[in-house]
Amino acid sequence: MIKRTVKIINSLGLHARPCTMLVKTSTRFRSDFKLRKDDITVNGKSIMGVMTLAAEMGSELELIVDGVDEESLLLEILELFQSKFGEE
Amino acid sequence: MKQINLEEFFHKKKDDFSFSMLTNSSTLKDKNISHFLNRPGLALAGYFERFSHNRIQILGETEISYLQSLEAEVLFDRVKELFVYDIPCFIVAKGLSIPALVIDQANEYNIAILSSRLSTENLSYALRKYLDSLYAPTIAFHSTLVSVYGVGILITGSSGIGKSELALDLVERGHRLVTDDLVRIDLLNDVLIGRREKEIGYFMEIRGVGVIDVERMFGIQAVRAKKQIDIQVELIPWKENTHHGQVGNEGSFNMILEKKIQVIYLPVAPGKNVSMIFETIAMNHILKLYGYDAGSVYTQKLSDEIIRNSRINKELRK
Repeated sequence: MIKRTVKIINSLGLHARPCTMLVKTSTRFRSDFKLRKDDITVNGKSIMGVMTLAAEMGSELELIVDGVDEESLLLEILELFQSKFGEE
Repeated sequence: MKQINLEEFFHKKKDDFSFSMLTNSSTLKDKNISHFLNRPGLALAGYFERFSHNRIQILGETEISYLQSLEAEVLFDRVKELFVYDIPCFIVAKGLSIPALVIDQANEYNIAILSSRLSTENLSYALRKYLDSLYAPTIAFHSTLVSVYGVGILITGSSGIGKSELALDLVERGHRLVTDDLVRIDLLNDVLIGRREKEIGYFMEIRGVGVIDVERMFGIQAVRAKKQIDIQVELIPWKENTHHGQVGNEGSFNMILEKKIQVIYLPVAPGKNVSMIFETIAMNHILKLYGYDAGSVYTQKLSDEIIRNSRINKELRK
């Protein structure tokens, strides 16, 4: 299991489109993927879960990946956050 | 383009349009009817520019009273001038009587004149409707059509994925079957209408059971002769590690007979309650028709919440 903290840097935060991208990416992997914001932990492969976080720009999320392909999953997820989900 | 034989048309629709023949029945032979109608008023008056001679010519009260007002010699010349054109047929409305001279000449020139008891207005409307359906773009392909809460859902997907079983389950839950396995689709007035290819009852084949008669088994309320197609649902095999969901308006579309139709790709796995999902699709479609799109509403609420959160954070940081 790997845990990593990321900061949301795109100005619109985790709205519908980035959430869909997270879910689309993570479901391709076999590892479990969880996201924690404050005291809420959600399943990163469930769109409603991720959207419930309503994470805004500047907030910090803890990514929790666990499974056989956890490293490559984490890499791709981090890449999404760094690229601001293709936004500003 | 499709061609409809005049003789066949006359015999098939004789009762619907209360037709009778004024000319010899031999004048019906080897002619095709056209998609469109024409009122030949100006042609009768001697103006033949842009005369749509290849259309069905409707003679109403105006045309007939004009013909009757003409002197015999003028009428004779005019009719001769008219009958050299290649005309599919004339139809006299309201059972009006037409000068004997016209009928004689029509027989001579081998042009059919039919009489209908319907009024000009009713005849034109009925003919239009009939011809439109006759010449409508049409296609038939492997699929199943059901009506769920009045929403027409076309079920597609590869053989053996469970279209028939799903239709049966929906019928069992009180919804209606239009046809299973093969749907004939017509594009009428910009709307896709699905129906059975052959009107011989509502039979379907259930693998391992054989042929069943849905109408006999579930009653007349379980079947429907035709239905407007509102959505297409393509059943696809369930795959692990694939994301199928969608939130907002990002729907997919398919073209059927050059008409755009929404298509939902629905993953199915054994034991999944697909009928319930179909009911949900139908109800969601109705809500969207009434202007409520849950996906957009939810997305909007979420964005509002994110904006609120950032404002609060900014205040706290001050």
